[in-house]
Amino acid sequence: MIRSEDGFFGQFGGRYVPEILLPALIELEELFADLRDDDGFWREYLLLAQQFSGRPTPLTPCPGLTRQLGGARIWLKREDLNHSGAHKVNNVLGQGLLVQRMGKRRVIAETGAGQHGLATAIMAARLGLDCTIYMGADDIERQYSNVFWMRQLGAEVVPVSTGARTLKEAMDEALRDWAASSDDTHYVLGTACGPAPFPELVTYFQSVIGLELKDQCQEEFGRYPDEIVACVGGGSNAMGVFAPFLDLPEVRLTGVEAGGTGPRPGAHSVRLSAYGDQQDAAETGIAQGFKTLFLQSRDGQLGATHSVAAGLDYVGVSPIVAHLTETLRLTPAYATDQEVLKAFQLLMRTEGIIPALESSHALAGGFKRAAELDKSQHLVINLSGRGDKDIFKIARAFPQPEWREFLDRELARQSNEKEGSTDVA
Amino acid sequence: MLPEEGSDLQIMSHAVVGYPSLEENQPAIDGLVRAGVKLIELQVPFSDPVADGATLVNACHQALQRGGSLATALDLAKQVCQRHPQVSFILMSYLNPLFRFGLEDLIGAAAEAGLKGMIIPDLPVENVEPLLPLCDDLGIAPILMVTPNTPEHRLERIGRAARGMLYVVARQGVTGKQSQWGEEFRCYLQRVRRYTDLPLAVGFGVRSEADLHALQGQAEVAAVCSKYIEWQTSLGSERAAAKLAELTAAI
Repeated sequence: MIRSEDGFFGQFGGRYVPEILLPALIELEELFADLRDDDGFWREYLLLAQQFSGRPTPLTPCPGLTRQLGGARIWLKREDLNHSGAHKVNNVLGQGLLVQRMGKRRVIAETGAGQHGLATAIMAARLGLDCTIYMGADDIERQYSNVFWMRQLGAEVVPVSTGARTLKEAMDEALRDWAASSDDTHYVLGTACGPAPFPELVTYFQSVIGLELKDQCQEEFGRYPDEIVACVGGGSNAMGVFAPFLDLPEVRLTGVEAGGTGPRPGAHSVRLSAYGDQQDAAETGIAQGFKTLFLQSRDGQLGATHSVAAGLDYVGVSPIVAHLTETLRLTPAYATDQEVLKAFQLLMRTEGIIPALESSHALAGGFKRAAELDKSQHLVINLSGRGDKDIFKIARAFPQPEWREFLDRELARQSNEKEGSTDVA
Repeated sequence: MLPEEGSDLQIMSHAVVGYPSLEENQPAIDGLVRAGVKLIELQVPFSDPVADGATLVNACHQALQRGGSLATALDLAKQVCQRHPQVSFILMSYLNPLFRFGLEDLIGAAAEAGLKGMIIPDLPVENVEPLLPLCDDLGIAPILMVTPNTPEHRLERIGRAARGMLYVVARQGVTGKQSQWGEEFRCYLQRVRRYTDLPLAVGFGVRSEADLHALQGQAEVAAVCSKYIEWQTSLGSERAAAKLAELTAAI
């Protein structure tokens, strides 16, 4: 498994944070160093993941899609079947075990699509911890169903209204909270980004995906796949499925980023590829506690991003992913919002699976690659999450008049109930 | 000149380059100087200022829209250092704009502009150490921060690397909220003094005359930064300077 050199992966990574945060990061790093090679700890984690989240998640063949695309055999690693509906819970359950060992009583997290926030709220409810989730004000509008459930679970969801009001700002705000609260609060960082040891620690817990996949491939077709495709926002699901395969050069690893609406500044979040004729390709920078490829201006201001998928709408990328791309171990690709919606619909109609819009990027990229491969080859797409949370977005992309009529009726019912209860009071 | 250890408490204040506008920076700084401020931070606005609270976050975002940048900060530094040779100007910036410029080049450019020091909140001491010979050569003091939760071994390391003065963060958290100056704080300052002979600049939560009185005899510098920017936002630069003049008169 991949290891950092003092927090660095090649030139990327590190720990560039205000002094106030260093003691908490060092405490976490030391705890992680003690546990990472402890088989007993890993077994404890696997048992929790099995009992609480239904792991191992299946590897599902897709015969209909395979026939239709006419290339490689397509398999899906079903992270959408996790409790909470995405891979995010793997990392959160692992960090929950760390929180218990550190004896902290409160957790905070940033979230984009809301899946990480939801998983953190679930963990906090189960362990009896206070929980605050920071979420960009625009992302709250985009993923309201997750916000609803986080609040039902007892978490405080704080809208962040600075800057572009998305994931980057949510992370800034979580870091600010942690600067004031690290004595009794753990920051459950949701992706393989941020200051050391987070990129390595999150990858460690998420690697359960790839470790299961290794066994499942052997069982299903007696060898490793020819290619694995994952979407890349921060990079945690990608690193989770890729990490155990890094030493197997015959397995091609493809990371699909959000091409958004096109290669204009602020219209996408492609950090690993040259995108169209864009002038503002991502460059090495140091912000939010770590060194990686950031979309940024020439004088070092972080740029704006866009994706149809809130979870991929991020300005930087895991330092591990940046390093693997620089060393050519990972092949970057991207899919536009339009391609993603098409892939979403194709999977739904052909295989009866409703994917998250984030994961639909991996589908769009994976379908393209599968068609280019031979029928004897096997391609695995990491289906990182399910699409229930995207119901409003999908309702607008593929409108049904009945849905609109239902919403009107539901609104009317809610206001009737409100008036009714006022009368009673 | 930066203050000396044991000297009377003086105020350090603040300008965000580009806030409220590039044009207004210089007159605002003139106002601070007239108010008796002899130490002024020039903050390079940044898109993601993680150590700052709402006041400075908002000032940064507006400043960026109005042309604030590292380049305009260096231009402003040149002007104000010439106009006010009796005042020490310090560059305050998050790391990325400086990293993009090149840290070693930046130290040269800062010295050339007449700046006396640099505060980079997200550059830990480990990364400052290799830059010390160049800083010492060019007379740029890397002003390092210590916090209430900094362990002894880091205090020692920071104490060795710090130059000019040591920035003592008064409490956990970000800028712009009140701090307490009780017995615990006094012990904290005593602990810090064991690791440095440099003057101590106390920042984060210095907001009133009462705060300044509490710090008199304990520290050499009190950083009144967020509060000044708050005044600048609500009252305008001129009346904000008048408020600062009241504070300097009070000590």
